[in-house]
Amino acid sequence: MNGEKTPVVQNIARLFPFIFIVALLASYLLLPTKTFSVRERRYLAQWPSFHVEDVLDGSYGRKVEVHFSDQFPLRDFWLQIYELCEGQSLTQF
Amino acid sequence: MLFSSLFFTFAFLPSTTIMYYLAGAHFRDIVLLVASLFFYAWGEPIYILLMCSSIVVNYLVANLLGRNDFDERQRKLFLLGSLALNLGCLAYFKYFGMIVDTIAAIGCRDFNVIIPALPIGISFYTFQTLAYLLDVYWGKIKPQRNLLQYALYISMFPQLVAGPIVNYADIESQLSARSLTLTGFSSGLRRFLCGLAKKILLANNIGLLWMEVKTMSNTGVSAIMAWVGVLAFALQIYFDFSGYSDMAIGLGEMFGFRFKENFRYPYVSRSVSEFWRRWHISLGSWFREYVYIPLGGNRVGRWRLALNLFVVWFLTGIWHGASWNFVAWGLYFGAAILLENLVLRTRIARWPKVVCHVYSLVIVTVGWVFFEFQSTPEIFNYLKLMFGLADNALIGHFFWAKFRKYSVLFLVCIIGATPCPKNVALLIRKKNNKVYTMMANVYYATLTFMVTAYLVGSTHNPFIYFRF
Repeated sequence: MNGEKTPVVQNIARLFPFIFIVALLASYLLLPTKTFSVRERRYLAQWPSFHVEDVLDGSYGRKVEVHFSDQFPLRDFWLQIYELCEGQSLTQF
Repeated sequence: MLFSSLFFTFAFLPSTTIMYYLAGAHFRDIVLLVASLFFYAWGEPIYILLMCSSIVVNYLVANLLGRNDFDERQRKLFLLGSLALNLGCLAYFKYFGMIVDTIAAIGCRDFNVIIPALPIGISFYTFQTLAYLLDVYWGKIKPQRNLLQYALYISMFPQLVAGPIVNYADIESQLSARSLTLTGFSSGLRRFLCGLAKKILLANNIGLLWMEVKTMSNTGVSAIMAWVGVLAFALQIYFDFSGYSDMAIGLGEMFGFRFKENFRYPYVSRSVSEFWRRWHISLGSWFREYVYIPLGGNRVGRWRLALNLFVVWFLTGIWHGASWNFVAWGLYFGAAILLENLVLRTRIARWPKVVCHVYSLVIVTVGWVFFEFQSTPEIFNYLKLMFGLADNALIGHFFWAKFRKYSVLFLVCIIGATPCPKNVALLIRKKNNKVYTMMANVYYATLTFMVTAYLVGSTHNPFIYFRF
């Protein structure tokens, strides 16, 4: 067995969560912005317009966070997983 | 910005990490400092000025304290001045509202004053600063000459918002040189994920049970339900707080810092004193080191011991929040520990283990009632419900409904609050390292998926009427 290959594979496996996080961030940056969610029956947040007052009172940051979660890659998929988990979750009977 | 937000985990953290590792040894400190200031300013842009001025002033004072050309009287003056300034800031921003309210309640006088909003993390960074100044004054440490490294010590984002309170001596060497390894990075990341899962999957969900019981407690719940409810709160606050500490320790490790443990399975304690050696360890050691021991510790007479404990626990209580119920909560523990010190210590040693565990759990759990309810009538109402003094049922049908819904989660939380899962993992690793590695990889991958789904799910507000 090649002694050097195992650690590389192991390292990739250990770093999987980080690779996953970076991949989702990259998709968020690259994918086009969506305007409407059929699943949630609502318009999704768009990138907030820049106002100095908004930055100073912290509301700009909050709007960016809402944009981030609304435009999160595979949002519908994650919501489905969430509902599936909740449906059979520890907190349901 | 909260650790448990989608934006932190999927945007701030990866960008900061990538920049930090690409920056090279010379610029890493700057990257981390800028990232930390950005992190702080994100939700609280104005108060960054407060933190930055605190950093600069205390940096200068510490360097004055470290110089040899001042006599003892001058040094004492510097120290007292800086302590007064730091404590004054904390008092104004955290306790001003409480003081005004209390005076209004006692003297029936209404002050028309503006109460400042609480700056995030002020309790933590003030305590780190106080410890730093006192250690420099006592000659335990040399003051940091490099302003950048001092600023990093105070404002480093992993521990800025919710601790642990890091002692300067513990990370002094790491500030100037730290080793970055892939193993350290990945185990830090795992620790972070564990903490995130504790918060998102366990604390938030068991918290729902407590919210239901708390709401129902106004109209009355059965005695068992009241106990289960406050136990759910005990689990919620443990997973919430220790989860945050895990995240902080994990993040620190990802950036090459080693912080001390902040929680060591507090609910397995066999006495109240032991509980406080396992719960929020960095705060307990802070009070021991900088208040209790300077006051004389326990090498004093009975009355002085009682006074010392009173001071320490009054302060510990009020540190947790600007409200009198926290003082009551602190003094309640002070009284329990005094009792253990004076009377129970030798007896507890003879009790069977089970009795010790039950005794500490009951004391701690009853304590959470003081912590969670703000007003005296609410506290007594809930205590009456717990001890069946409010003409309430012993079990009741509400309990069985909640039992069906939450029993599995409750059990998972109880097991999770003990060292059992860790011990099982260590046992598997000892028996077969390969199997352990594979299982750990699968476990953390699953955890990443689950946490992502729950983080996205928490931003989802379904149109509730469609459900009916």
